[in-house]
Amino acid sequence: MTGRSAPELRLESVTHVYQQGAVRALDDVSLTVGPGEVVALIGQNGSGKTTLVRHLNGLLRPTSGRVLVGGQDAAGRTVAQLARDVGLVFQDPDRQIFAGSVRSEVEFGALNVGLHRDLLRAAVEGALATVGLADAARTNPYDLGGSRRKLLALASVLAMQTPVLVLDEPTTGQDVAGVGRVRGVLRDARAAGHTVIAISHDMEFVATEFARVVVMGGGRILADGTPAEVFAPSGWELLRSTYLEPPLAAQVGDRLGLGSTPTQAALLAALAGAAAQ
Amino acid sequence: MLALESVTYRYAGALRPSLREVSLTLSEGEVVGLAGPSESGKTTLCLVASGLAPRTVGGTLTGRLLLDGDDAAPLAIHQLAGRIGIAFANPATQLSGVADTVYEEIAFGPMNLGLPRDDVIRRTDDALATLRIEALASRHPARLSGGQQQLVAIAGLLALRPELLVLDEPTAQLDPAGSRMVADALARLADGGASILIAEQKTDLLAEICRRVVVLADGAVALEGPAAEVLADPRLEALRVAAPADVRLSRAADVARLPAAQRERLRGAVGS
Amino acid sequence: MTLATVTAVVAVALGGLIGPVILVTVAVLGPALAAGVAGSLIRTTLLLSLPIAISAVLVNLFFFPGGQTVLLQIGPITATAEGLGFALEILARILAISGAITLFYLTTRPGDLVVDLEHRGVSARVAFVANASVQTVPTMVERAGQITAAQRARGLDTEGSVWKRVKGLIPIVAPAVLGSIAEIEERTMALEARGFTRPGRRTLLWHPPDSGAQAIARWLLLAGGVAIVVARAAGWLPWLG
Repeated sequence: MTGRSAPELRLESVTHVYQQGAVRALDDVSLTVGPGEVVALIGQNGSGKTTLVRHLNGLLRPTSGRVLVGGQDAAGRTVAQLARDVGLVFQDPDRQIFAGSVRSEVEFGALNVGLHRDLLRAAVEGALATVGLADAARTNPYDLGGSRRKLLALASVLAMQTPVLVLDEPTTGQDVAGVGRVRGVLRDARAAGHTVIAISHDMEFVATEFARVVVMGGGRILADGTPAEVFAPSGWELLRSTYLEPPLAAQVGDRLGLGSTPTQAALLAALAGAAAQ
Repeated sequence: MLALESVTYRYAGALRPSLREVSLTLSEGEVVGLAGPSESGKTTLCLVASGLAPRTVGGTLTGRLLLDGDDAAPLAIHQLAGRIGIAFANPATQLSGVADTVYEEIAFGPMNLGLPRDDVIRRTDDALATLRIEALASRHPARLSGGQQQLVAIAGLLALRPELLVLDEPTAQLDPAGSRMVADALARLADGGASILIAEQKTDLLAEICRRVVVLADGAVALEGPAAEVLADPRLEALRVAAPADVRLSRAADVARLPAAQRERLRGAVGS
Repeated sequence: MTLATVTAVVAVALGGLIGPVILVTVAVLGPALAAGVAGSLIRTTLLLSLPIAISAVLVNLFFFPGGQTVLLQIGPITATAEGLGFALEILARILAISGAITLFYLTTRPGDLVVDLEHRGVSARVAFVANASVQTVPTMVERAGQITAAQRARGLDTEGSVWKRVKGLIPIVAPAVLGSIAEIEERTMALEARGFTRPGRRTLLWHPPDSGAQAIARWLLLAGGVAIVVARAAGWLPWLG
């Protein structure tokens, strides 16, 4: 991982409008994500999550308001320039894979951001190892199964060594091994002090891996806090209004009157604590 | 009703077989779940069970596929269409692409079979009613949500009045709302006595609707038995299958060596 | 469709000015008003015909051979009255033809056309291809947009020099093609599993509305069109030419 420190990401009163005002994908949204934060973005389809993250690398520009990356207005930078700081992994790997081999696919992004020779090789090897595709470097991407192609897409952005990593539904359609790899990526990112923002509808994954959860609906931020805060029983009505279910651990904890227990670990700790009394 | 006898299947041009000596039976009215990590053979098994492999997909099959006791090998794919319906994970690619309304989309199968017009209409109406999607009948299929499209795809299969439904990870690409919609519809079909073979990563869904579960590993059957037993089997983790959330929670409680009383409280709360 | 073809053929056959003008009014504007598409028809037809119309008119206006009566002189180029007359005739014809085609396009739903063809015996698979091709376009456009976004997020420069943008085509075209091919496999499986390959005709749910009157009208139109062309060729109706 690079020694570059992650830039602060800031949205200031960002509104994004489609179709001459008919659709307000983002409605006066303000959000700050500090360097090294690991944030989950949850909400139903159409809540604005995808629109929001596309502002972070310039694919979308605000209709009004500002987007600041590292204190600098993103408006003055092209997408290709912002891609050096913010790596965005799309949900569907088949809408980006084009190379004949896994290695070439992973090299693409790294080459674009200016990595050469030794640095390039190290970045590519590292990315392949992290997602478990090191032994498939020469394989044709379409000879891999769907889950591994998704990991390939992830690797191709990891090799760019961006200090900010944005993931769109990283665990959807993944099996246990694949989810394990994604957790490994998060672990490495935390260790390197990189910022991670992930869109996900896997509530258990969100509760266990992320220190901060932002709930979106109708183009606005509805809640923002730790998993314990967001998944506390007082927040369930809000969650359910966006068609999300709190994690099982939270529901069980509530049934047992143990307060907010968003994860298995928290639930067991609370039980043990209750037993000790 | 459906039986695979020692089926080994290799895709065209593949070095290794994707299914190795797999035997599986499914009786009428049974709902059987298929679990296993990616590339363990779940999709291949679904393709073989529906007849698409080797007919449409190519490849070589050894062993037999029996439908109601008869060898299915001489049957062409369009002959199997009215007897086995198969749905896949991607909701959009299952749409015919030529229907402007959900009604026509569902009628597509019966129309292809050349059934009398009244028959086609009756079957389409029945399928809409069974899945409770009458309200979607005049909508354009391409503009529905993923969950809705999956329900339309399944309705399209029901209109063929198949003996068996094969579902290959139907909720894999859906958001929680869509998954819930499909899961509820499948539960109702199961209650109504449908015969279903369903492959899924989400073992919680399998726990909800399946009577039996088969776990695949590397193209062979690794575990098989009543759903509750198989999904609580400690070997699942080694087989790279995630047990349902409640099973994992109970197991974690045991591992954490909580006092028995607390474990009882937990079990009680999880079960409800 | 019969109307459009007949109109186009007749427009070419008729000489002079009056003929085509009558044609435009009767065969194009009339039905358009009846179908309620007159506005779009006029807009689209003018838009489509503009390039050809402008060049045809200008060429004939200024360079009509044998033009005597001078209207306007710009340097060495002369606009003649005869040229103007001929130019207007050409214009009327162009409008008649493009108007007829536009009318057809505006009043026919591709789905209906395909169902009609299938009723008349066109094979189900040909009909399917025709129909599915139309529905594919918006999907392809949307897919291309997604692919472009994903590649730009990996640093593909779409805002740089022309050469860079050309190089950047492969990462956009390749996934579009590969993805389409992969999708075709899935689509084929779904279609076949729903009995698409069954030999023999399939049941059609509904007929596009057609009445005896419409069928008669089609025959009359065809007969009339042939008659006019023959009459012109034989020189029987000089006032139309």
